[in-house]
Amino acid sequence: MKNDLGSMLRVGVKYCGGCNPEYDRVALVEQIEKRSGEKIDFTPYGNGKVDLILAVHGCKTACADMSGFEGTEIWNITDIKDAEKFIGEVVNSGTGI
Amino acid sequence: MGMMTAEQYEESLGKLNLVVYMFGERVEDVVGNPIIRPSMNAVAKTYELAHRPEYEDIMTVTSHISGKKINRFTHIHQNTEDLVKKSKMGRLLGRETGCCFQRCVGMDALNALSIVTFNIDAKYSTGYFKRFLKYLEYVQENDLTCDGAMTDPKGDRGLPPHKQPDPDHFLRVVEEKKDGIVVRGAKAHQTGAVNSHEIIVMPTLSMRKEDEEYAVSFALPSDADGITYIMGRQSCDTRKLEGGTMDQGNLMFGGHEALVVFDDVFVPWDRVFMYKEYDFTGQLVEYFASYHRQSYACKVGVGDVLIGAAQTAAEYNGASRASHIKDKIIEMNHLNETLFCGCIACASEGRKEPSGTYCVNTLLANVHKQNVTRFPYEIARLAQDIAGGLMVTLPSEKDFRSPETGKWLEKYFKANPDISTENRMRILRLIENITLGTAAVGYLTESMHGAGSPQAQRIMISRSSNVAEKQRAAKKLCGIEE
Repeated sequence: MKNDLGSMLRVGVKYCGGCNPEYDRVALVEQIEKRSGEKIDFTPYGNGKVDLILAVHGCKTACADMSGFEGTEIWNITDIKDAEKFIGEVVNSGTGI
Repeated sequence: MGMMTAEQYEESLGKLNLVVYMFGERVEDVVGNPIIRPSMNAVAKTYELAHRPEYEDIMTVTSHISGKKINRFTHIHQNTEDLVKKSKMGRLLGRETGCCFQRCVGMDALNALSIVTFNIDAKYSTGYFKRFLKYLEYVQENDLTCDGAMTDPKGDRGLPPHKQPDPDHFLRVVEEKKDGIVVRGAKAHQTGAVNSHEIIVMPTLSMRKEDEEYAVSFALPSDADGITYIMGRQSCDTRKLEGGTMDQGNLMFGGHEALVVFDDVFVPWDRVFMYKEYDFTGQLVEYFASYHRQSYACKVGVGDVLIGAAQTAAEYNGASRASHIKDKIIEMNHLNETLFCGCIACASEGRKEPSGTYCVNTLLANVHKQNVTRFPYEIARLAQDIAGGLMVTLPSEKDFRSPETGKWLEKYFKANPDISTENRMRILRLIENITLGTAAVGYLTESMHGAGSPQAQRIMISRSSNVAEKQRAAKKLCGIEE
């Protein structure tokens, strides 16, 4: 998968604080990375320029602090279904974001 | 320095020259002592999680004085979101450690002093607030753990400090010097004291003019000359000396308390935040108590662990499908989440103080803590009910490992055929640890008396409740005109 400039899509990962998560957020991101294969470069947010922020919230409250990401596209994940949607629409579609 | 890692924290403790006694002997290696070490591990968790991206949103924050990223435990709350995140941090760490992680008390002392030093200055032009901010900057820059020391031994409960037969039963100033003060006395029940870099002392109750030598607040390095720590015992504490990995229940974490004696200890003026302003002692106690009553959010996290342990024990026993077991788990969750409601509510309804610090809603913080004096006991009772009597009659790990007896324990303590006997024993030991072992100090009795005993909250609930407004509403609805 490529971004508009033709290079590999870079996704910055941002977590909520994890006070009472309803699923294992880190394991889910690892699964997404695994299923993405070589298509996407996942990186912690703040580690250089990214095409998209993947905000991983432990529950539907979705309270991760997203200030500072203005102007960057944000994809929110609050459960496993959201992760499947991300994989279907961003990873597998081949059409970019 | 910036935020310390867990390893750097342990290393920093090793450099302290603390005078610690336990079982009648001086403890030479405090960090390495097997009884103390689990409590150090619990504090270290507050450092470790701050460096992990999946917890950073709760564990870290931007300092309002330096603009740098700091550990939330050294932060002064700048809005209600900070207060809510503090409650969530308590639950997170309670769940990750299954015990008291000790670092909240210093955070609560810092926040209370940020308000009260400002208020004293406003009345007396004393300069305490500026002094406090300089100290805060030092704490934040070096990511220090502070012990918040409030509770004096108190002697005869019917007498004020200045009338005590032994004048040292409340910590007091015994000498005033050009460059500082000399203090004498003690602070009891000090959670995490020997895992702290600093000790912040506050008066324990509201005082009058006659008690002005006792109206003192200050901070010192924890290894200052003249400070001695005498470790408190905990139920089942010496199991940590036995080796093995089963009988202590919680393999890694624990808490501790100590009596801290100040034997004519010198405090330089730049570390003094209150001296003789007796009319602000009540205020300092109330702000600290409100913050600290909120801090019992941690018990929700320990409750999470206990509920998880009870469900697991039910499954291992083969009883998890019984309707009464399911109902007991529901009740445990109901009680635990009710506690969570209280600590979130008092934070959400927080208010801004003249110093700029945000404080929790006093009424709701006291209601929350009052619930904490009761619900963990019921949650513990239900956990013991579900676990069964084996929790307290299990032979030791050494018997389990013994070639003579191990086979019998393996055979007769087998329940669910899919589960190993050892795992069944482990989960029962964890329930024992939390409900009547070392961790029960934190989960039960500390829930009762920590941050003030139940009656202290009832006094504050009475003082903070607007009953007149409730009467007005009632009278209006039924047509009473007076």
